Amino acid sequence: MPGFICAYVTYVDAFNRRIGRLAMYGIFLMVGVLMWSSISKTFFMPSLWTLESAQFLMVAYYVLGGAYAIQLNANVRMDLFYGNWSPVKRAWFDAFTVFFLIFYLAVLLYGGFESLMYSFDYGQRSRTAWRPYLWPIKAVMCFGFVMMILQAISQLFKDIALIRGVAIK
Amino acid sequence: AKPKITWRMQTYAGPALAEHVVKPAIEMFNRIAGEEMQIELYFADQLVPTGELFRALQKGIIDAVQSDDDSMASPTEVTTFGGYFPFGSRYSLDVPVLFNQYGLGQIWEEEYAKVGVKHLSAGAWDPCHFATKKPITSLNDLKGLRVFTFPTAGRFLAKFGVVPVSIPWEDVEMAMQTGELDGIAWSGITEDYTVGWANVTDYFLTNNISGAWIGSFFANMDRYNELPAHLKDLLQLTMDSSHYYRQWWYWGGEANLRVNGTKMKLTSIPDEEWATVEAEAHKFWETIAKESPTKAKVVEIFKKYNADMAKAGRPYRYG
Amino acid sequence: MSYGVIAAAMFSLMMLLMATGQRVFAAIGAVAAIAAIALWGTGGVEIPFTAAMKLMNWYPMLTLPMFIFMGYVLSESKIADDLYKMFHVWMGPMPGGLAIGTIGLMVLVSAMNGLSVAGMAIGATIALPELLKRKYDKKMVTGVIQAGSSLGILVPPSVVLVLYAMIARQPVGQLWLAGIVPGLLMATLFIVYIAVRCRMNPKLGPVLAKEERAVPMPEKLRLLGAGMLPLAIFAVMMVPFVNGWTSLVESSAIGAMASLLAAILKRRLTRKVFENSMRSTLGISCMFMWIILAALGFGAVFDGLGAVKAIEHLFTEQLGLSPWTILILMQLSFLIMGTFLDDTAMLVIVAPLYVPLVHALGFDLIWYGVLYTVTSQIAYMTPPFGYNLFLMRAMAPPEISLRDIYGSIGPFVAIMLVSLILIMVFPQLAMWLPETVYGN
Ligand code: NA
Ligand code: NA
Repeated sequence: MPGFICAYVTYVDAFNRRIGRLAMYGIFLMVGVLMWSSISKTFFMPSLWTLESAQFLMVAYYVLGGAYAIQLNANVRMDLFYGNWSPVKRAWFDAFTVFFLIFYLAVLLYGGFESLMYSFDYGQRSRTAWRPYLWPIKAVMCFGFVMMILQAISQLFKDIALIRGVAIK
Repeated sequence: AKPKITWRMQTYAGPALAEHVVKPAIEMFNRIAGEEMQIELYFADQLVPTGELFRALQKGIIDAVQSDDDSMASPTEVTTFGGYFPFGSRYSLDVPVLFNQYGLGQIWEEEYAKVGVKHLSAGAWDPCHFATKKPITSLNDLKGLRVFTFPTAGRFLAKFGVVPVSIPWEDVEMAMQTGELDGIAWSGITEDYTVGWANVTDYFLTNNISGAWIGSFFANMDRYNELPAHLKDLLQLTMDSSHYYRQWWYWGGEANLRVNGTKMKLTSIPDEEWATVEAEAHKFWETIAKESPTKAKVVEIFKKYNADMAKAGRPYRYG
Repeated sequence: MSYGVIAAAMFSLMMLLMATGQRVFAAIGAVAAIAAIALWGTGGVEIPFTAAMKLMNWYPMLTLPMFIFMGYVLSESKIADDLYKMFHVWMGPMPGGLAIGTIGLMVLVSAMNGLSVAGMAIGATIALPELLKRKYDKKMVTGVIQAGSSLGILVPPSVVLVLYAMIARQPVGQLWLAGIVPGLLMATLFIVYIAVRCRMNPKLGPVLAKEERAVPMPEKLRLLGAGMLPLAIFAVMMVPFVNGWTSLVESSAIGAMASLLAAILKRRLTRKVFENSMRSTLGISCMFMWIILAALGFGAVFDGLGAVKAIEHLFTEQLGLSPWTILILMQLSFLIMGTFLDDTAMLVIVAPLYVPLVHALGFDLIWYGVLYTVTSQIAYMTPPFGYNLFLMRAMAPPEISLRDIYGSIGPFVAIMLVSLILIMVFPQLAMWLPETVYGN
């Protein structure tokens, strides 16, 4: 495969792996926030910010972890036929159907970007008493969608390499 | 045959409440407009989540919305006053008078036009009372209470130690049971019974922080402008009939359930103590008025209106 | 295009895309995006994203990574080994005893995690090799593990019931309690089936060899203590929740910490265990969240295009059926769709259509939640699509072929169908416990 494609795959995979590994530890942030929520409720005043920040963390967890999950092959597929195919045949099918994945992610990104711009234009805040700005979480989501698109393209390159019987170095 | 025009309208209400607050009017509209136009009604969060509702309307993802300004967080100067503006009104008839005779209607129209949305019509809903698991008999009982309420009401109630919680409207009943909430400050007793909140709370506080909720119908500006004149008129009639339905449904319902309801016990905070809340509300008005000239103008109207009503005496205001 | 055509087109395109083996969430999401752009009109392209904001508001989804994490800590740290030994020692002397013990193990594991994945992992990696070594019939034990692990979504805590609660707007606490008796009933029926078959044909589940049976009583009693651990974790999580001291999501975090603590105290939390639990939790959580996200987008588009109305109209007006017939038809359609579709996606897409209908027909939505979950369990079991098949293939020892996996489930699916019918005919099986605890 051409050098720039190999470099693309190497860098995108490595970057997404790092982001995903960071997101992975997000579960402890969620646990921490929720534990604080029950402690503060029991012993002091209930916190205004806990539930909502846990929700933001949850979104960051699965959106930023999305590309790494693709790498880990964690996304379930209906393997009625797929399960019996050879790796090359799978790669052939994936090389076409991955465009549906990319298309879906692109549509998400478009909507996310529009929503992010709205948040900037109007200084949008959450409707809760805590009233956090909403642009940061939307920015995180858009970033996650972009990285997933880049990851999907990387998967495509890997499939093409497999079909051509060459390695990506 | 397919209707020439179809609109998607999303209401803030879930199915049980929508049965009264919007569905009868929309069904009537659809029967009359027939093949010319149909409005498809969707419930709270059904197509878009409430947080994205205003944007969805502005961009034409949906064509019309029934909501209050406050809970859909419209990016306008008047948002604070929609929903429950503390002690802004005492009776449901105050709202149409404020909009039609005291100039709020025009301010709303102009403010929404600036952000590409047509403000169609404002109407009154029910008063804002507390429904809780534990009885409330003094202001002290409000401290630390996690309550589902409107953003502005929440900001105000926080002064008394209330912890306002915002979650999707449809999740309130569940949140009462999963322990996320201790109470609800969102509605009168009619709504508590209609949507099932009376089943998950035990007490109803007869003091209210506002006598009527201000809610409106909105449309996407372009979509509204495309309508022929007679459909615009029909839409106006529809909304007026919807407002009228709520006038008697809530007014009669509140009294009936206080007297005959069996699911909630009534409690009260003594009038003298509650007067401190009203005094605090007037300070809150001043804070809001300082935020911008438009807000100052709206606060001025509320003041003028309430002063006039007090001067008019009984039955407009007692004491 | 008529509403019926839109509904049919969206479903068939989705099935077609899934059949190519593309990721399930991509298939669902892409169809939603295509339909939104082609048919919605202004702004349709933004619907898939607004679903992401909707999902953010579904705060009970926070329980998903927590319960998954709990399950993985338990399976990876092999705390379940002691549990397995307990059943092994106590049940070994009777024919089919180890298989029966495995069902017992699965019930306990179900009480400590919210999905079927952990039960599957524990069953396939701990129980299955031992059972095969002792000449248990491989087809039967493969079925035992798949059926047993499916209890994970019916016995609380259950992520599927949380998801159902979100859609049907029903209290999670009551739904969870409603799942307990049916879960135990199903486990009992599995046990009866194993006992009867092994009695008729002892070769299916041979009695343990004498030397293996000779465990001294003190040791046997010590092992019984292992059974206390899952009960303790279950109690730490459920007691504060049912009493209203902690909320649902807070309890799930407590559960996750309790299982981690148990692994530390038993000195099983190695670096590798930690790494595997963390990574698998992220992977499985992402899988579910992305499927739910895509399905929420699909559902909103489907609804906004009027397809929901077409289906409601079909059931209630065109066919003119009695409530029970409609209910049975809905369960059948769930079962059929479930064989092909991912059951999480199915819940998010189909439940919003069916739940209001079930309510309008006058059925109880807590009870229906249990029916739905049992149906999901069946859907999870049946080929061509099921997580169990996906997981079993990945985890089972090499001597278990795909044919064995497919062939093993028949009798267990039949038992599940019997349970489903029992719960339909005797709603008190589900309703008794929540009504007693919450005092109606
Ligand atoms: Na479980
Ligand atoms: Na299946």
